[in-house]
Amino acid sequence: MFRRLRSWSRRDAESAGIAEEMDLHRELRERRLRERGLAGDDAHFAARRQFGNAALYRDQISDLWGWSMWERFLQDLRFGARALAKAPGFTTVAVLTLALGLGINAAIFSAVGAVMLRALPYPEPDRLISLWEENTRPLSAAAKYSSTGAQAGSAGAVTRTTVAVANLDDYRASGAFEDLAAYDLAPLNLTGNDTPERIGGEAVTSNFFSVLDVSPARGRTFLPEEDKPGANLVAIVTDGFWRRRLGGAENALEQSILLDGKSYRIVGILPPGFQSPLDLGLQSKNEVYVTASYPAPLLASRADHEVNVVARLKPGISVASARAALSATSSNLARQFPSTNQWIRAAMAPLRDDLTGKVRTALLALLGASGLIVLIACVNVANLLMVRAAGRRHESSVRMALGSGRAGLMRQLLTESLLIGAGGCAAGIALGMALMKALTAIAPAGIPRIESAGMDWRVFSVSAVIALATSAIFGLAPAWQASQAKPVDALRTAARGMGGTSQARWRTALTIAEVALSLILLVGAGLLLRSFSTLMGVDLGFATDHVIAMNVNLPKTRYPDGAARLRFYQQLEARLRALPGVRSVAYANRMPMRGGWSSGIFLDGDQGRLAQPDFQAVNPGYFETLGIPLLGGRGFGDQDSASSQPVAIVNLEFARRLLNGGDPIGHSVQRGPGAPKIVIAGVVSDIRRSGKEGDIKPEVYLCAAQTSLYPVVLADLAVRTAGDPRSLVNAISNQVWAIDKDQPVTGVQTLDEIIDAAISQRRFQTLLLAVFGGVAVVLAVIGIYGVLAYSVSQRTAELGIRVALGAAPGTILKLVFQDAGALIGIGIVAGLAGALGLTRFLETLLFQIKPTDWRAYGAAILLLSAVGVAAALIPARRGASVDPMIALRQD
Amino acid sequence: MLILRTLSRGQAMHGFEIADFIQATSTGILQVEEGSLYPALQRMLLKNWINGDWGRTEENRRARYYRPTAAGRRQLERELERYARVTRAISGVLALDSGGA
Repeated sequence: MFRRLRSWSRRDAESAGIAEEMDLHRELRERRLRERGLAGDDAHFAARRQFGNAALYRDQISDLWGWSMWERFLQDLRFGARALAKAPGFTTVAVLTLALGLGINAAIFSAVGAVMLRALPYPEPDRLISLWEENTRPLSAAAKYSSTGAQAGSAGAVTRTTVAVANLDDYRASGAFEDLAAYDLAPLNLTGNDTPERIGGEAVTSNFFSVLDVSPARGRTFLPEEDKPGANLVAIVTDGFWRRRLGGAENALEQSILLDGKSYRIVGILPPGFQSPLDLGLQSKNEVYVTASYPAPLLASRADHEVNVVARLKPGISVASARAALSATSSNLARQFPSTNQWIRAAMAPLRDDLTGKVRTALLALLGASGLIVLIACVNVANLLMVRAAGRRHESSVRMALGSGRAGLMRQLLTESLLIGAGGCAAGIALGMALMKALTAIAPAGIPRIESAGMDWRVFSVSAVIALATSAIFGLAPAWQASQAKPVDALRTAARGMGGTSQARWRTALTIAEVALSLILLVGAGLLLRSFSTLMGVDLGFATDHVIAMNVNLPKTRYPDGAARLRFYQQLEARLRALPGVRSVAYANRMPMRGGWSSGIFLDGDQGRLAQPDFQAVNPGYFETLGIPLLGGRGFGDQDSASSQPVAIVNLEFARRLLNGGDPIGHSVQRGPGAPKIVIAGVVSDIRRSGKEGDIKPEVYLCAAQTSLYPVVLADLAVRTAGDPRSLVNAISNQVWAIDKDQPVTGVQTLDEIIDAAISQRRFQTLLLAVFGGVAVVLAVIGIYGVLAYSVSQRTAELGIRVALGAAPGTILKLVFQDAGALIGIGIVAGLAGALGLTRFLETLLFQIKPTDWRAYGAAILLLSAVGVAAALIPARRGASVDPMIALRQD
Repeated sequence: MLILRTLSRGQAMHGFEIADFIQATSTGILQVEEGSLYPALQRMLLKNWINGDWGRTEENRRARYYRPTAAGRRQLERELERYARVTRAISGVLALDSGGA
């Protein structure tokens, strides 16, 4: 092979060498013959005779080395390029169509690959398992029927929860796992020399890094005893933190840092690029890992579901058998501890699937849509190639009549198709890279690992295979047909100006397929657009404009109890109210869309009337700040304090669900037997706490002044401003620091920004699918136009005769539109069937819209029909304006 | 086989020398068109049985001198052996024939 290649690159020199050898041979022979006494010319010719046909032997040698094949290929290539250059319109459309399809596909494929296919950055990632618990208790049914207990799991909305620490040992004992580790977010206030900073951190069990199989680049991991209560405070930090905050100092391992006011000794520095499963590929970065020293009550509690769990499967254990072992364990626990574990079921999934689970459907839908685009593009190119081949039947038959071989003819057509395929592929990959950049730039936060997306050889090869296969198959089909035709027949039909009927049928079928595929995409895009506009129309129930929210997390070391925290917030409120531009100030455990707390209660002392509403501890200014109107009773006021009667405000949904719509004022709730009775003093309107996609839930607002009664921590601040809320951020922070100079202010966001971020993923999907739909429509228009324009040009003679025989232009228009109508009509019917079948998969992406939403279907059909008719317009008018004299003289 | 055998005598030869040698040693019985030597040489080059290096003839003309490679020598052995087998077989059959007559 190597010799062949080398000889190819030097074939001219080689040929010359061989010719030289042969010349020498004949010369020497001639001389030899002359020495034997032959006369000059006789010797010359005898030597030639004896040598034989030198040209033939040279050809043999050239075949031997495979040069001639290359030569013919190059010749085909040159000829093909010339032919394509002579039809710039066709070439551009074909190459661009392919490029568009492949580019979109390459970009989406890379993105999906980065998010879903690439292995996790831990050793043996396939053995890593995410473990959680599911609460199978029916939410409201429990309240209504708990006395009978017969409704087990009937209205089962299964809710996923984190894991109770006390269950961990039992899960470990299930035998499926080598080990399992618990971890949880633990943001910490870093103080010391620089500005106070709230840093992302995690509290992990001491075996966390060994389960992930990650070793620190410097220092050590946690020791087993270090996650026990009372152990030394130690921390492991990321490479980024070490460089950013510790200046990359060599002696960092002996240093201590102040976290939440306590001194932690740094024992390890993680390798660069390490990310915890909690923030894998996300923008947020957890930089400090401390040991989770769970307090004794938590260690004993099977009711507090607090921690995330990652486990490593034992080698050779399958996910299915681990799941079986785990479910056996949770059944046992349910029997042993019915009061806490009756409804709790352990669940697990490979860590990678769990991490990508949320965006999986969306990405798969996008992948499917981009696949459809590729299909449409390929169909289009196939169509164009066939139209072109049909248009060149005359040329082909002439060439064949003049003696060129069938094989040669096919090779020529195929080379042309492959040229288009290669061009489309190259342009497509270039486009794909550009799209890829755009895609990662506009991708919303929260799609794990998308920013690591990049083209790799898989994308390249898939694109190349698609491009070349399409062009080869659809270049070959017409090439084969062309080569099959008898030259005489072909010449005759060409003279009559008719395309082959089988080709016409093929083209029609391809165009119908294209219309159908476009309709599917349009319906999908339409459904998402309808979802999005429905979502935009959802009323949150609270006003998001002119409100800025931020976290002021008070560390336990400085603010040990509710009273201390309340004092801080009351002081802060007074200071902020004095600022110009501040309308009102709210503080709470959490503002809407920033997390929350829910707790089980029972109503009016009746332990049978259970419910699980959302709980918030809020100050009197909360409702004004968030624009939640008071509908009855009273709001919180100065009369409510830690020593007065505990009071609450509920929302309408609370009254609707728990009191059959009756007036809740005067009723009371309790968080447990023996817990203080909380009297309901007011009613406010409903809000969607978790955003537009969330449900309206029963809410109980507790009085912030009474938080010392509840296990809830004031930590979130919101300020309603007169002007741009962002302009007050510095002033607000300064007031915080005036009270406590070491207190970080974090998570600063306007409520509008939060809402916007919450819908960004959906907007991203909708935007992409809408763009895909648009591309599909453009491609379909090109397809329809191509087929009709071609068929009109082929029927010029026929149309000419019709006009000559008295057909009005309207009749001709009708003829062409009938063709177009048939194409579009059949395509739409086929597409409808496909759309009904495929949009089911979009269901989870839709918001309050059924996959069979007639408006989306109607709009898609209308749009496609309209552009289809528009595409038919130019060919139809050309057909109608045929001059019979010219048309008939054409042949 | 003949070419390989010719070349395996030791010194490298160019095309005309090979043709001339085969003709001379076969006392003119094996007569083929001499040009067919060149595709044959090229085939053997391709199969890496021989190497060809450009050199100068006694009259200072450029000529390619061929010599067998190790693979070429092995090939020659194989071919000689096969040839010997066939001739043994043929002469065996012929001997049988003459014995029976």
